[in-house]
Amino acid sequence: MSKRQVLFLHPNDNIAVCLTDIAAGTTISQDGKEISIKENIPRGHKICTRPMAKGDGVIKYGERMGHATKPIEIGCHVHTHNVLGDRLSTEE
Amino acid sequence: MSLTGYKRSNGEWGFRNHVLIAPLHQMLSQSARAIEEAVPGVVAISHDWSGMREKDFDRIAKTLSGILVNPNVFHTVILAIGTDIESEILSLAQAHAKTPFTIVTLKDAGSLQALTELGSKAAATALNGAKALKREPAPWSAVVLGLECGGSDAYSGITANPALGVASDKFVADGATSILGETMEILGAEHLLALRAITPEVGQQIIDVVARYEKSINYEGIDIRGAQPSRGNIEGGLSTLEEKSLGAAKKAGNAQFTGVLDYADRPPVAGLYFMDTPGHDIEQLSGFAAAGVNIAVFTTGRGTPTGSAVIPTIKVATNTEMADALPDLIDLNAGTIADGTQTLEEVGALIYDLILRVANGDETRAEIGGHHEFNLSRLYGSTL
Repeated sequence: MSKRQVLFLHPNDNIAVCLTDIAAGTTISQDGKEISIKENIPRGHKICTRPMAKGDGVIKYGERMGHATKPIEIGCHVHTHNVLGDRLSTEE
Repeated sequence: MSLTGYKRSNGEWGFRNHVLIAPLHQMLSQSARAIEEAVPGVVAISHDWSGMREKDFDRIAKTLSGILVNPNVFHTVILAIGTDIESEILSLAQAHAKTPFTIVTLKDAGSLQALTELGSKAAATALNGAKALKREPAPWSAVVLGLECGGSDAYSGITANPALGVASDKFVADGATSILGETMEILGAEHLLALRAITPEVGQQIIDVVARYEKSINYEGIDIRGAQPSRGNIEGGLSTLEEKSLGAAKKAGNAQFTGVLDYADRPPVAGLYFMDTPGHDIEQLSGFAAAGVNIAVFTTGRGTPTGSAVIPTIKVATNTEMADALPDLIDLNAGTIADGTQTLEEVGALIYDLILRVANGDETRAEIGGHHEFNLSRLYGSTL
């Protein structure tokens, strides 16, 4: 069996966690899902699995971990450049 | 696997049988280190408190008095100036346990050199006694487990932390005590922990302790971005404090919370607790030591050598790459869960077994490396 490339943690999540570095242009086909990766994503980092609008909650482990500060497309890197915590942080 | 330990007169159990050299004033810290060097096998702490009744006195007194009588300590050699405030700390310690101690005061010794010599003699005698004491079969309730993480990465919440949660749940179910710390690292997950509280009051305490912390941060006007998550956390893939917290809280498994403890307070009965501690690794371990924690598991994504003066501290790596790169720091690799070669339950069972083996005397990497850190936690500056 080939090594898993991403981890889908919870059915309600709109992100998945990359288990290896994944290059832009790769198509992930795993656990009955298919995702085209649009940016280079380092291992341990998150990719968007459902489109998010600005202000949408980012859901990991089935729980809200912050919100999108701009629209995020499926296959894009979800990190500090487009996500902010809801607490103890202020909008730029 | 059975459990063995050293039974103490107050009913607590130790998994180590330390002779601890403890200065009650910063001026005697160097003497404590000199005794540690002169008598191989004893362990010394040092600190910077000058015996003043400063704003943080209660916190300092709890931490110092608590570690003097940690159940892993067989005998304490106390170095003191000979003041009333030091006697207060001794009284506090004795309210918890009658751990045998020898006190050497500068007043009686006359000089630092004489104090070091007297302390070394007492330490050597105590060490002989410690070596003669045999382990006995211990009940599961003997375990007071500390749960810590440091240098978290995006794997922490997927691998090492939930696997530790599996082990913690098993101990708690068998009547042991387990303590989760780091208030900042449950911010964003406290509503989930509160749902698991034994009573609504305990649930409210969990919410309140985080609210107090959040208010103090907002009041100070600290911009937490850049510090939490830290640069290392962010490089590892964590984007927000809530994300880090959701992963960190998984160390406490799914058991019910019996109570909330103030920093360095001893748990009154067995069960799972949350302790209000700083995120700072050593301050947290020092608070645990004062609370009577006798074994700890420390999950890490980036790798850290930190240990405790009196608590054997097991390091669990969250990812295989770091575990392979830093074998002298890591006792167990939970990265196999992300590699897909082991399940969460399998690694949880391995952590459980490792806790038992270390409790029974196996040395941790931190112990082998001589890492026995201690420090005092202050909320205010040393204003006096």
